[in-house]
Amino acid sequence: MGRQMTAMLKGTLEGIVLATLAGGSAYGYEITARLRDQGFTDTAEGTVYALLVRIEKKDLVDVEKVPSEKGPPRKVYSLNEQGQQYLDEFWTNWNFLAERIERLCDERN
Amino acid sequence: MAAKWIEQKKRYRKYKARIKELPENYRSSIEALERYLLIFGPGQGDSVVVMLEDLAGLFEESAADQLPLREIVGDDPVEFTETFLQNYPEGQWIKRERDRLITTIDRAAGDRS
Repeated sequence: MGRQMTAMLKGTLEGIVLATLAGGSAYGYEITARLRDQGFTDTAEGTVYALLVRIEKKDLVDVEKVPSEKGPPRKVYSLNEQGQQYLDEFWTNWNFLAERIERLCDERN
Repeated sequence: MAAKWIEQKKRYRKYKARIKELPENYRSSIEALERYLLIFGPGQGDSVVVMLEDLAGLFEESAADQLPLREIVGDDPVEFTETFLQNYPEGQWIKRERDRLITTIDRAAGDRS
């Protein structure tokens, strides 16, 4: 992934993580794995973790600690009501942006 | 005040003990990250400890999933670290300066009396 792509993803990754959680609760690495399956192949686990810390602070997710056989208890994240609202807003903004950029791209041709 | 400081020190020591349990290449990376985070991160003791505990948590979970180091920090460790740092604005000098700039311009623009 090039620098430009990284920069573009920067502002949207939080929404993308929430969108991933809309598909069902998951713990950190599961979320990263889902993102990779979706084609966000170069997403660092640490970045996803940092975003999860952030959305937890903003109270957009509910967190449950689930014991695991190996290692520390896993924090399982699920989208809550507030997170859903935030995600709806994200999609509205995204569609607005995508439409404008699409138009610029069309005008060029 | 002293009690608070002792408590923070205790938590810091616990964090150090936690990272000692991790694989060698994780540990050297954490130490490099810690250095960067302490320079650019929060200046307040409480936030510092919370930040380092979160950092240890990331590597402990990654150890359990046996993730290669590159998958954790990515191709650009600065990118990851900056995203991580944004979660701990309390006591960051850059945050104080940003707030100050915003307030001054608000006032100058007449948005705030």
